[in-house]
Amino acid sequence: MEILTGNELVSGATVYLNKAGRWVEDLQQARVFLKEEADARDAALDATKKTMRINSLEVETVQLRGGQIYPDRIRERIRAEGPTAPRRDQRQHLRQDDHVSI
Amino acid sequence: MYRYDEFDAAFVKERTAQFRDQVMRRVRGEINEDQFRPLRLMNGLYLQLHAYMFRIAIPYGTLRSKQLRKLAYIARTYDRGYGHFTTRTNIQFNWPRLSDVPDMIEHLNEVEMHSIQTSGNCIRNISTDQFAGAAADEILDPRPMAEILRQWSSLHPEFSYLPRKFKFAMTGSPNDRAAIKFHDIGMKAVANEAGEIGWEVWVGGGLGRTPMIAKKIRDFVEHENLLAYLESILRVYNRYGRRDNKWKARVKILVHETGIDTLREEVEAEYAQMKGGVLTLPQAELDRISAYFAEPAFELVNATQIDVPREKAADPAYGEWLENNVHSHKHPGYVSVTISLKPIGGAPGDCTAEQMDAIAELGETYSFDEVRVTHEQNLVLPHVKISDLRTIYDALVEAELQTGNAGLITDMITCPGLDYCSLANARSIPIAQAISHRFASPERQREIGELKIKISGCINACGHHHVGHIGILGVEKKGTELYQITVGGDATESAALGDTMGPGFVADDVPDAIERLVDTYIKRRETADEPFIEVYRRVGDAPFKEALYGN
Repeated sequence: MEILTGNELVSGATVYLNKAGRWVEDLQQARVFLKEEADARDAALDATKKTMRINSLEVETVQLRGGQIYPDRIRERIRAEGPTAPRRDQRQHLRQDDHVSI
Repeated sequence: MYRYDEFDAAFVKERTAQFRDQVMRRVRGEINEDQFRPLRLMNGLYLQLHAYMFRIAIPYGTLRSKQLRKLAYIARTYDRGYGHFTTRTNIQFNWPRLSDVPDMIEHLNEVEMHSIQTSGNCIRNISTDQFAGAAADEILDPRPMAEILRQWSSLHPEFSYLPRKFKFAMTGSPNDRAAIKFHDIGMKAVANEAGEIGWEVWVGGGLGRTPMIAKKIRDFVEHENLLAYLESILRVYNRYGRRDNKWKARVKILVHETGIDTLREEVEAEYAQMKGGVLTLPQAELDRISAYFAEPAFELVNATQIDVPREKAADPAYGEWLENNVHSHKHPGYVSVTISLKPIGGAPGDCTAEQMDAIAELGETYSFDEVRVTHEQNLVLPHVKISDLRTIYDALVEAELQTGNAGLITDMITCPGLDYCSLANARSIPIAQAISHRFASPERQREIGELKIKISGCINACGHHHVGHIGILGVEKKGTELYQITVGGDATESAALGDTMGPGFVADDVPDAIERLVDTYIKRRETADEPFIEVYRRVGDAPFKEALYGN
């Protein structure tokens, strides 16, 4: 299973493509693409590139654990939550004008 | 300190206006990320895991109080109220918004700072000894020449697209506190047989995935010929350095593959053409720049001995601080003070806006308006009267900057690691925090003595793990962060690369592993003041491997 992730242009915030074609902050809202949905995934990638608003666009492999999306890579788990240390740093958030849809 | 002339001011202003326009065009969708990325990188703006990261140059690690206050203002206004000092003696902000960066740069320009050449395949910020111009063991203040090299290398048209990034370090002291043998070019002030001062030049040092100790390429270069000689090296590198493979593009690989003798011949041939030409540095220009770095107006005070045992008896924490964080000064009655950015359990190199303001105040009041950044991620007040030490310490206590651990086991170099960096494979900061907590006791640290731990979250080695007395390298294997340990590295004049001990440890086991190494050292040392690195050199790696892995 895969999800699409990237960093929004102005804030640099970590974002995920959701089922409605909107790039959102919450990993758990990400659209999960099954193996047989490769065409839909590639179409979403192409549409995202056309917006020119999502950088470092990547396809990430994930599992479902207890109904929750769980990225395979540690890196992605940290991207989703924000730095683990020092504790004062929460993840970056989008502002109103930063929202991107495809 | 150096002040911008009209040329400096004009070029940074022009560059800032260009970047503002580039950002606007990117946000409006007129240029894409492939077009924009090299432009933002040229201005020190990276995209990391969670956000942009903005890196600002601090030339040869020297700041005026006004500049440090401006960094505090930027941290407070545009970021999250803190900054991170790096091993290149730069500062990074972890959370800027793209649209704010041109304003941040404009603020920097107001205090004669910028972010140009803090990224990209060009000549990066030049680092020097943090005690330059103050140290008792110095034969020459390297900063005037560092400033001349800064001017020569800024937007140098021939060297803006080198095969790979290029880093210089300089020391004016025989005791190398700038790690010159681990830079692309390292320079050490030396005297020739006639007693004239010039520069010994080393080339091809570096860390990363192929760590190398630099080779000496020339025993002596006169001040007036240094630009011509360095340009000769850069030209040879620019011509022969590999551009087909990023991992083999640094000058260290060229030196290794070509051999230092052949490379030296190439450089000498180039130098023969250049020497005596337009790059000859006129004495008047050297004098003009040196005047900016003239000694401050030190007071004539009696040389005062600091009675550390007495102070320690009265106030142990102050005594520890005096013992570890005070460095001898060339002028009687003065010392240099290291302000540790390594509080127990903190993120090494981080400094809040309030702390920056407090340090700026101390620099202005007690250190002739100067603050330095060290490559070990601490700050320094270079010129402090011994009689002011207690007042300064009390102010540092108020700012929570009083940690008396400079040079001790909790004074670790640590890269941002996988908590921030898009290149990292493993986290570094939590490992530093765990080790710091484990060895927090001042008594334990004093018992251990000088011991440098350096931690990197990937093989790029921003945390200098290869040259830690104990080095820790984070890797990822099958979804788990593992930490490989090296022992025996040394970044000073007795340069050495650490030896890998064996398989990596999971994060939770790292503090125990470090403790076993420390215990082995203490058991094996012949006297209480025989340092860790000397014991390792004397007894070899076997007892340390046994401590980690058993027989």
